[in-house]
Amino acid sequence: MSSTRPSAAGWRAMQVPRPLQRLFDRFPLLMYDANELPARSQHLTSGELPTLYIFSTDEDARLGLPSFNPGCLKWQTLLRLSNLRFRTLPSTNHASPTGSLPFLLPARPSSPTSSSPSAAAGPIPADKLLRYAQQHGGVIPPEIPDHETNRAQAYLALVTLHLRNAWLHALYLDPAHSELLQKLYIAPASSSGGVQAALAWQLRRAAAEQIVTSSSSSNGKLVSSGGADAVDEESVYAAAGEALEALAALLAGGTRGEEGEDRWFFGVERPTWFDAAVFSYTHLMMEFMGGDDEEEEAPPPQQGAKTKIKAKTTLGTMVQDAGTGELARHRRRMLETAWPGWDGRTRA
Amino acid sequence: MALQLYVWGPAFGLPSLDAECLAAIAYLAQTTNPAEYELIQSSPSGVPTQHLPALYNPSTSTWTSGYFAITRHLSFHPLPSFHSSSSSSSSTTPTARKAAADSSAYTAFLTAHAAPLLALSLYVSSANYSAATRPAYSAVLPLPLPWTEPPAVRAAQRRAAAHLGMSALDTDADRSSSGGEEREEAGWVAVPSRSSLGIGKGKPRMGMSVQGMLAPEDKARIRLEGLASDVLDVLAPVDWDGQDVAARCLAFGYLALMALPEVPRPWLREVIERRYQALGKFVERFIGDVFAGGIQALPWVQDREGMSVVGVGARFARGVLAEVPWFGEQWCRWWVARKKRQERKGRGLKTGPSGDLLLVSWLGCTLIAMSAGIFFYRGLPPFGAAVQTWRRPAAMLSTLGAAGALFSGTLYGL
Repeated sequence: MSSTRPSAAGWRAMQVPRPLQRLFDRFPLLMYDANELPARSQHLTSGELPTLYIFSTDEDARLGLPSFNPGCLKWQTLLRLSNLRFRTLPSTNHASPTGSLPFLLPARPSSPTSSSPSAAAGPIPADKLLRYAQQHGGVIPPEIPDHETNRAQAYLALVTLHLRNAWLHALYLDPAHSELLQKLYIAPASSSGGVQAALAWQLRRAAAEQIVTSSSSSNGKLVSSGGADAVDEESVYAAAGEALEALAALLAGGTRGEEGEDRWFFGVERPTWFDAAVFSYTHLMMEFMGGDDEEEEAPPPQQGAKTKIKAKTTLGTMVQDAGTGELARHRRRMLETAWPGWDGRTRA
Repeated sequence: MALQLYVWGPAFGLPSLDAECLAAIAYLAQTTNPAEYELIQSSPSGVPTQHLPALYNPSTSTWTSGYFAITRHLSFHPLPSFHSSSSSSSSTTPTARKAAADSSAYTAFLTAHAAPLLALSLYVSSANYSAATRPAYSAVLPLPLPWTEPPAVRAAQRRAAAHLGMSALDTDADRSSSGGEEREEAGWVAVPSRSSLGIGKGKPRMGMSVQGMLAPEDKARIRLEGLASDVLDVLAPVDWDGQDVAARCLAFGYLALMALPEVPRPWLREVIERRYQALGKFVERFIGDVFAGGIQALPWVQDREGMSVVGVGARFARGVLAEVPWFGEQWCRWWVARKKRQERKGRGLKTGPSGDLLLVSWLGCTLIAMSAGIFFYRGLPPFGAAVQTWRRPAAMLSTLGAAGALFSGTLYGL
């Protein structure tokens, strides 16, 4: 408080008009102590269980349901597969120390003595999550056998390049899913219309740039700064279709599985990180972009899928039709393994 | 009418200086009779899709651009002589299905990971860019275009390689920004910036640290080799001759540009020569098989329309316009949207409403408002000028009343 003295003296040296001077004399300048952190920060940053911060809705996070962001869903699935007990909380990129979700806060029992959340152990970024799980009694998902790791890397490129581009295009650039985008990413960020419009514009622009840059690097100036119209959507979806076919073929032919159904990628007996990576996209595509499970009499999805794009093949139907439906069955097995007891559609 | 494939021109002893163009040429050379296609040297600004390689198919009169789209187009609209060896025509058998899946996986891997690595070697590294890549571009482009196009390509390639975090290879960027940045990065060791070193002038100056004398490629050597082996470890064990033609050609495109060009900082070539000889041999064998007759044996055709003075001038003007800071970006977006609408209309598809009328009227209103403002401003007296000026009337004969009139002779009509 003493540091404010010189500035106060500076005020005095200035000629303050009489009436104001009298007013301030009546209400003396007072400095309060720093505010306590809001009570909900206790709840948000401490708990008996480690907390995984992901893109999610409040309701889904409370129930621990899958995130709607592919990157978050991959790690969430892996953590669930490793049998680590954790809770999930919705968050945004701005809250993350690395600038991207997900991240994990270790368990911090809330005690009245250590009220400051920053005193406890630091957050754990996504790539160290599995090591944390291992240290805290989790079971690490098995590794892909050595002779297959190079092939796994190549197949992973199908997911991170083609499926990702198709997902980005469908969610951000396709006007058919603008309601979904609004609901998932834009409305939770701010309630102000101006901020939402700016955010939507930024997201669309970033998605278009991502797709253009990643699908081919030797672009002319016009294409690289051409915005959403520079994206060749036909080849994005064709590439995604081919990628899904290839993954389905890998799943079908990769194992000498006898019982036919219970197969994971590369013939491992339990799901690996590769299964989680594929699942993170196939699940979201089927969940949000049409193509619900075949035998379930699916209630019409609440999002914009029911509007007018039924004629167009959506990503969800592409997943379902890939191969002979291997990926759809794989997704269901993954859901049964990682979310046992969840019927797959309890959405609030 | 023959297929027309628009590609970047030859360089480094290869038919094209771009990996995807090289792959497209190799693909056509292997699958199609030379009489049925033409190769045309161009640049992205010379084709309507603004992206090379671009294929014009006169029988369907469609433009296709990008290697993946071109191979797909060719397999859907096969030419009479089209034969894609070992391609999975019967994709029902499990082995054929597996082979097709492998091929598309390796294609995706090459696009996703080999392209940024190649960009590091040929575009991000300033030494290699200025000594090898830039001259190659200058050799294949008609005169004013080397001033606009290679920087745009380099910017795009740098963006593609940005996630590898090796922008330190680009010493041009350091030099244009302040030299203090580098020092800050190095911590307490004061590293003199490269521009002050006078590399190549013989003796190093007194007190210069060893680190300061190293080229950025040498400093980052370990990380670069790590990045290279991340990619090449996956590619090396693959039996490329057993893969689909499309995947093999794309692998050749990237690997040839990694292994062959003579560059001043040949870290990538050295890694391949030292640890991945099989890949180097694959490239040599491929060249021997596919381009046995040399580059000149390919069916090159001169692009008369695109190389006319007017055509080149328009391309240059567009390139310059796109570089204007804010306006250029808006203009690019408008131009691309317009092209896309035209193309969709040409195929009979529904197009969204074009905002051109709105844009033109908005521009007109702005222009009118600005000219009105200028007109008004010009009508104002200059700042500081007196609003009213009083002058003493000059003493003349007419001011002296009747006597003056008498003397001036006005009374008498003289």
